[in-house]
Amino acid sequence: MFDFSTMSIPVSVFLTVFGAYMLFYIFYGLFNVYHLIKYGIFGIGLYILVTIFTGGTILLISGSTFMLMEYDWSHPISAEGAAQYYNEDLFPNL
Amino acid sequence: MMHLDHLPNQRENEHVVLFMRRHWFAVFTIIASFLLLTIVPLGLGWYFWGMVSAWLQGPVSGPLLVIAGSLYFLSIWLFAFIEFTDFYLDTWIVTNERIINTEQEGLFNRTASELDLASVQDTTAEIRGILQTVFTYGQVYVQTAGEKGRFHFKNIDNPEHVKEIVTKLVEEDKQRVSALGAGK
Repeated sequence: MFDFSTMSIPVSVFLTVFGAYMLFYIFYGLFNVYHLIKYGIFGIGLYILVTIFTGGTILLISGSTFMLMEYDWSHPISAEGAAQYYNEDLFPNL
Repeated sequence: MMHLDHLPNQRENEHVVLFMRRHWFAVFTIIASFLLLTIVPLGLGWYFWGMVSAWLQGPVSGPLLVIAGSLYFLSIWLFAFIEFTDFYLDTWIVTNERIINTEQEGLFNRTASELDLASVQDTTAEIRGILQTVFTYGQVYVQTAGEKGRFHFKNIDNPEHVKEIVTKLVEEDKQRVSALGAGK
């Protein structure tokens, strides 16, 4: 019989959500830069703007990647463990 | 990329008199919203650091929190830039012969239109409310004889001054056009 408490999935499932969002972000980000370059008024301001956007994006993505690399992505999320995390990790002061 | 000294379909002896974007208050609103949306969660994280650091060390809550945080900060960065692009690409160019209106609405809608100054019938400047009065920005409506009617310079700096310049240019262009007609 199916036992819900023994079912587990790895934490790496969160990465698929992150990956899907990154695809969306890259699509919108590139489209934004394309608009600026194609329709913007020629001048130094335009280049500064594109550099700030690209630089900020690189900083945010590298920061996220750096922080995400510290975790063990094979760690299972189990229904049984969820109750344990709730008690011990979610509100440690309780 | 558009060059102000080389406009699309530029005519002989045509030059740019006014180049306008919305007033800087529009950029201020975008930057203030961005800062608020960034500082509030960072401040909360700093205030409840004991709890947040415990969550970050959890094998499940840690990755979940970092991913949620990344998605949040990337979203507000992207949103702020899309809004700024919208501001940056909304331009109104007044030359000595025509008005060129370019408006960006979101990322996927763009309107570009132009009208000859000689076809302008009436120009109206409008300043409404406390903010527009204090910071001297507002609307200018340029009325034409055609069916479509009206060009709208949205939230531009010093609308009354712009109205005066447009009215003067319209008069000069009408005289130029009648002189050309008389010369035929």
